[in-house]
Amino acid sequence: MSVMRLGFVHIRVTDLEEARNHYSNTMGMKVVHEEPGKLWLKCWDEYDHHSLVLEEGGVGLVKLGYKVQTKDDLERYEKRAQQFGCTTGRVSAGENLTVGDGVAISVPSGHRVELYDEIEYVGTDTGALNPDPWPRDGRGIAAHWIDHALVAADDPGLLERFFTEALDFHVAERAITNISHPEVLGSWMACGESPHDIAVIKGPDAKLHHFAFHLEDWNAILRAGDIMSMDDVSVDIGPTRHGITRGTTIYFFDPSGNRNEVFAGLGYRTFPDFPTVNWTEDQLAKGIVYISRELNEAFTTVFT
Amino acid sequence: MTVLPDGVSVDAEDGETVLRALSRAGLRYRVGCRRGGCGICKVRLVLGEVAYERPIATTVLSDEERIEGICLSCRAIPITSIAIELQEGDRLRKVLGFAFPA
Repeated sequence: MSVMRLGFVHIRVTDLEEARNHYSNTMGMKVVHEEPGKLWLKCWDEYDHHSLVLEEGGVGLVKLGYKVQTKDDLERYEKRAQQFGCTTGRVSAGENLTVGDGVAISVPSGHRVELYDEIEYVGTDTGALNPDPWPRDGRGIAAHWIDHALVAADDPGLLERFFTEALDFHVAERAITNISHPEVLGSWMACGESPHDIAVIKGPDAKLHHFAFHLEDWNAILRAGDIMSMDDVSVDIGPTRHGITRGTTIYFFDPSGNRNEVFAGLGYRTFPDFPTVNWTEDQLAKGIVYISRELNEAFTTVFT
Repeated sequence: MTVLPDGVSVDAEDGETVLRALSRAGLRYRVGCRRGGCGICKVRLVLGEVAYERPIATTVLSDEERIEGICLSCRAIPITSIAIELQEGDRLRKVLGFAFPA
């Protein structure tokens, strides 16, 4: 089987209490566990123990956790990552709270990606027996789940090769310089059928551009924007639509400056035979913000 | 506070950051996350003193930069009259010209 999904995002925050307020009261996540200097959270529609780890001290990404289906997958991907030339290591059960044995990979862009197949099951807030469509006590934006992450890489083409050749992702969309000189500037890759589970754009190695929360639809995006204004959240771009993935979106920052996104509208499904969509450099702003076709400076300069 | 090279002067309220005071006066300049995480809004403090009420990651603003007078304008709070210089190539833009005529 292939990698299933982005299971957890582990980031650093400068002030844990401000981060707690943002991710629980504004985004609507639930704190499932806490220790001094560290919080574990989940969204209401997620059934695994947690999807976000916040660690106090600094900013930026510590690691991304991707969940695979079986132990065999762990071994196979460990071997394939090594064959690709990556340094790998084993992660023991419990090193990540409630997460089983795993494999850590230092991917070619310097990010740490961990694969695992077991994590404590806790269930969604609406349950799995005759459920309501959403919980009545949802807070703030009430995000459904963490959907994908976009990282920066000095060589996005190499990272694309890693995720496709070593981890069996497929490329939904790609940004290139131009058709005759197709240097890869960005790549949106899927392990399942959603448009992307990981994406990469050209930028400083080992840095995070954003991670995204799934919302139901465009109305939910507007409502999320209203809540961001009520809560004085720093907004980067949106509400608007992406040309790439056709998703609707707002980019914004958490209280430490890590970029978040609310993302709705699964624009299409990506089967393994999905024909990759290409965007040329001269049309890339339209690909990213379809309506205004103009990027602000922060979008391409702010990484944490 | 005074902003160079434009020479524009703006009053900051007690406890207000450099960015907040300039935004309130209808002025824009180069900023990033506005939350102390990226360092895009760095300016040079040429006169006076600022303080930080919130933690700033050293990966964003190094001790050397602090010594050189670089400050993070989204988090820096003036504690005296100050003069700051925008980054090379940046300038103040007026976005609320009707409310704040020159």
